[in-house]
Amino acid sequence: MIIRENLPLEEKLKILSAAARYDVSCTSSGVNRKGEKGALGNAASCGICHSFAADGRCISLLKVLLSNECVFDCKYCMNRASNDIPRASFTPEELCGLTIEFYRRNYIEGLFLSSGVLGTPDHTMELFYRTLYMLRHQYRFNGYVHVKTIPGADGELIRRVGYLADRMSVNLEISSQEGLKKLAPHKTHSRILTPIRQIQNGIIQDRLEGRRADAVPGTIGMNERKEQSLLLRETSAAYETEKTTAPDKAALDRYDPYWQYLVRSAQTVRRDRPHFVPSGQSTQMIVGAVPESDYQLVHTAEALYRNYDLKRVFYSAYVPLNEDSCLPALDTKPPLLREHRLYQADWLLRFYGFQAGELLTEDKPNFNLFIDPKCDWAVRHLELFPVEINTAGYASLLRVPGIGVKSAKRILYARKHGIPDFTALKKMGVVLKRAHYFITLNGRMMYPVKIDETCITHNLIQSEQKKNWQVAQDMTYHQLSLFDDFHLVDPGEIIHDTTAP
Amino acid sequence: MTLPRPEQNADSTRTVFLCEDTPDGIFTAVYDAWDSGLGHQNVALELNGCFNYSLFSQYVSVSTDYEKSFKVARTLNHKLSGQVFSMAYYAALAQPPGKADAIYRFLVLAFRHGPGIVSMLGLPEVQAVFALWRKVGNEAHYFREFIRFSDTGSGILFGKVKPKCNVLPLVAPLFSDRMPSESWALLDETRNLAVFHPAGQEWFLTSAFEDFSESPAEYQLPQNAENEDQYRSLWKIFHKTIAIKERINPRCQRNQLPLWYRKNMTEFMD
Repeated sequence: MIIRENLPLEEKLKILSAAARYDVSCTSSGVNRKGEKGALGNAASCGICHSFAADGRCISLLKVLLSNECVFDCKYCMNRASNDIPRASFTPEELCGLTIEFYRRNYIEGLFLSSGVLGTPDHTMELFYRTLYMLRHQYRFNGYVHVKTIPGADGELIRRVGYLADRMSVNLEISSQEGLKKLAPHKTHSRILTPIRQIQNGIIQDRLEGRRADAVPGTIGMNERKEQSLLLRETSAAYETEKTTAPDKAALDRYDPYWQYLVRSAQTVRRDRPHFVPSGQSTQMIVGAVPESDYQLVHTAEALYRNYDLKRVFYSAYVPLNEDSCLPALDTKPPLLREHRLYQADWLLRFYGFQAGELLTEDKPNFNLFIDPKCDWAVRHLELFPVEINTAGYASLLRVPGIGVKSAKRILYARKHGIPDFTALKKMGVVLKRAHYFITLNGRMMYPVKIDETCITHNLIQSEQKKNWQVAQDMTYHQLSLFDDFHLVDPGEIIHDTTAP
Repeated sequence: MTLPRPEQNADSTRTVFLCEDTPDGIFTAVYDAWDSGLGHQNVALELNGCFNYSLFSQYVSVSTDYEKSFKVARTLNHKLSGQVFSMAYYAALAQPPGKADAIYRFLVLAFRHGPGIVSMLGLPEVQAVFALWRKVGNEAHYFREFIRFSDTGSGILFGKVKPKCNVLPLVAPLFSDRMPSESWALLDETRNLAVFHPAGQEWFLTSAFEDFSESPAEYQLPQNAENEDQYRSLWKIFHKTIAIKERINPRCQRNQLPLWYRKNMTEFMD
């Protein structure tokens, strides 16, 4: 192993950002914090992407490792102990200086700090603490900080770091216990889930304290409350039907505005007291390193959202870095389209009231690569369509392909005064290209459409012709079989958005 | 300003109010057009320098009056709502053609329907202002992300942009909250507007530097600070190494960050 002392800062940055780039999470979202005189920085809950790298992924935070020296030997990882690569470490001063200077120039929204396991988990966590303490107190940095929790670190250290950071995360990496054991011999699920649970409890406690301290019922702003009640009223009818089909405690929680506000919503924090991980925690799973189905991944993600109140689960298409008999070959292309579909499904879970079981089943464990999960669900449930724009509830509107959270809300407000035609819907942001198969406006559809699964699927795929061509160009002589061809070579060109706020 | 008397057959003649392309100019014109008593269907608003003369119209030039503009803003905020005001204000910052009249038509309806107008997206007048509002808001958000500052020495940060919409009044408060104790300045090259923020004080918008680019030496900012080049190159290194080479996808990058935003971005300059 090459450890060079006194590397120039450029070299260190090169090594340690290259080592950090396989961590997907790069959001700066989830917390609102005002700026403060004498300090540098604020935080915006929508998240700010400051640039986009050549791979199209957003750069929001200065994503670096504190050190790429690591005692663990996870097979998939570039920094594993058995790899012979140049190793380097930042000093806390270097990291603070870089963060502040980049932040002042509006290059970044804050710091994403991860690290190889340097000596012991406790030692690494302590280094995090020292660095963040210096950044927050000596350099008076008030921007966003995302820090990794090192599995196996002491609870007290995690607690202390949590009061300096905005978001913390531990990567689950592999959703199955056996897979993890095979690829990351030093990690176990229980060692990963323990800190996640600890942080979850810390967050809930912190937010409850906040309620008591504020002691006013108006913590949900007036507008937010009005909107919630309106949406709830609108939702109730559609929700009644849903409830009979799937009576589920967790689903009930999802519709409870108080619970959502308390745990899931972006928090606006004041600086009168320290807050514990105010923007919640996230995790990441590798896609394609071991043979797992999308069904397993989505189910794991759903369980994490429900049981651990995670803010985000990220999916990372496996990029082969190491040669190993347990891993896909080095020339395997990263499964980008699959990753894209998983993110689409993830949005459906978090914002559209879908459950994992509705999207995939054991019999059909993988996403259709040709149409997105929402369209796929809709064409398989044509008995629920078309929905009438003027009467459908919020929940039903959200299930229409081409209607999103914003446009559904706009429809609810606008229809009180009437929506004259489809053009008006288009101006509100509804994507009619997909939506028109599934909606009626004043009792009429936009075009005469045959409500038939094959027919609509065919048309939906046709309207995605350009993307399809991209998919197809890699395999000119291959006959496209529309519904069950999962052996495609991924084109590697499908746009994905890992970190949209 | 004295307005011409409305003609006998006001129905057949349109009166066009010509105003300056600033929120104040447009709001003044709204005030004057409303106050003229000619009837909403007989007046139109156009911006100085970007309209075509039409037959059977008479043209009235409106000189910007901050008192009138303030009155309009106050009325919108108090009698309607802050949301109505902000929609009209954002629209007034949009790219020139058509916006002044769109705002006027929107406000006519707003006074008829009340604050609920902002969500009546079925009406074409509202759709027009909604589209402008969205466009300006989105562009301001992009510039909030993509503006780059350089340290000019003595701790002053300077950034320049060439936006389509007039985004400076929208991004300035955001940067003022982000860096309250830094001195910084932003220059809009399209409009020759500048925002100044002295450390620890309020920001202000000015167009005083009309000849900013060719101004004499005393107006020029100090040269780059000593370590400015170092951080620029560090940022470029970071921007390059953070991309995963197996996933390189310039088209996706262009979708997310269109080329025209990259003019003044450090990482895309050679």
